[in-house]
Amino acid sequence: MIRKAKAIGLISGGLDSTLALAMVKAQGVEVKAVNFYTGFCITETQRRKGGRADGSVPRNEALRAAADVEVDVEYVDISGREYLDMLVSPRYGYGKNANPCTDCRVFMMRKAKEIMEREGADFVFTGEVLGQRPKSQRRDTLRVVERDSGLDGRLLRPLSAKLLKPTIPEQEGLLDRSRLGDISGRSRHPQMAMAEALGIADWPQPAGGCCYLTDESFARKFFDVLQAREAAGEERRIDRDDVVLLSTGRHFRLSPKAKLIIGRSEVENALLDNYLEGRARVEVQGLPGPVALVEGTPTWEERLLASRIVARYGKGKDHPEVEVEWREDGGAERYPVAPHDDEDALEKMRV
Amino acid sequence: MNAALPAPDRTIDTSGKLCPYPIVETAKAVRALEPGAVLLVIATDPGIAQDMPMWCKATRNEHLATFRDGAAWKSYVRRSPQREETAP
Repeated sequence: MIRKAKAIGLISGGLDSTLALAMVKAQGVEVKAVNFYTGFCITETQRRKGGRADGSVPRNEALRAAADVEVDVEYVDISGREYLDMLVSPRYGYGKNANPCTDCRVFMMRKAKEIMEREGADFVFTGEVLGQRPKSQRRDTLRVVERDSGLDGRLLRPLSAKLLKPTIPEQEGLLDRSRLGDISGRSRHPQMAMAEALGIADWPQPAGGCCYLTDESFARKFFDVLQAREAAGEERRIDRDDVVLLSTGRHFRLSPKAKLIIGRSEVENALLDNYLEGRARVEVQGLPGPVALVEGTPTWEERLLASRIVARYGKGKDHPEVEVEWREDGGAERYPVAPHDDEDALEKMRV
Repeated sequence: MNAALPAPDRTIDTSGKLCPYPIVETAKAVRALEPGAVLLVIATDPGIAQDMPMWCKATRNEHLATFRDGAAWKSYVRRSPQREETAP
């Protein structure tokens, strides 16, 4: 009798990874689901900022998927230095925005291989579908990810398996290849039919990805940080604080050596107050208004410019003059300034 | 509600931590419990009200209750009496 196999399933919580979980489990395989925390998940960030505008809190789809299919789930935090360095220098380059999807997949699969070996599992599987994404899910890219991760023959894509070379667990009879999928392309109809057949009724609607790195506005800010650091003669790098701040507030580039970030809500104001170290805190005095941070080493003129922009986004924007507090390194100064009123000039500085 | 709940064998406070860390810490704490023992998780991430029942279902631990208590949330979980291992 063929022994029972064990597998590590990488899940995002979307329909495809939920189906992959269900398909592999249905073959009697002991499955452990793994969700990688990168720090770039849009849903997680929404939750960190108090949920949606209507007050609802988005659910954790990876947990939902594991609960629906009733498999153990483990969170693995990969958001550290090694991951951030990969984002800055991806071997296979970026997609349309700041998304180095191929490198990111290789990174995740290497971690998955470590988990597979630790758990004594036979293979790793994902919800990837051949041809679904223009770069990262092409046949050649799927192969690159398998090769570079060291998972040769042990990386299964159950939804498209019949269209790909048989994996080792299939060859060993641990999996029945005839019960795996032959889905390819961008259409979701085959997956929806499969979900109905497997009794999966609840999944998030595809929303063009859950990753900030694929977001155009985020990508602008991401590359702005790298370019500004290079221009200022600093190391080209992204830090954990940057990841949070890039998805928070309005960003204005004052110069290569100075950037202004202005909170857009009470939640963002409170969040910015957690990132004061090494930054100046700027706020209008005596009138409601946002909290703002200035990064870098602004000149005197840039200090006044930043103060005027912060005043523009407060209740005193129509006043002829307001007082702005500039607080840094334990000291505080106050600048009387006229709120900025040149929208065209503002737009040119906006990142 | 509190009167009907068992006294926890262990309490962890995840206040200030956000998704997914309350669940990550819950998993570690439950793994260290004896089968049948009860864990109380205190959290300020409102998402725990959705996450904890789903995590318990996925890992076959028993979700006893999750409710708001002032500014925080309290969640009671009983470790499955049968399972040897619970994933972190």
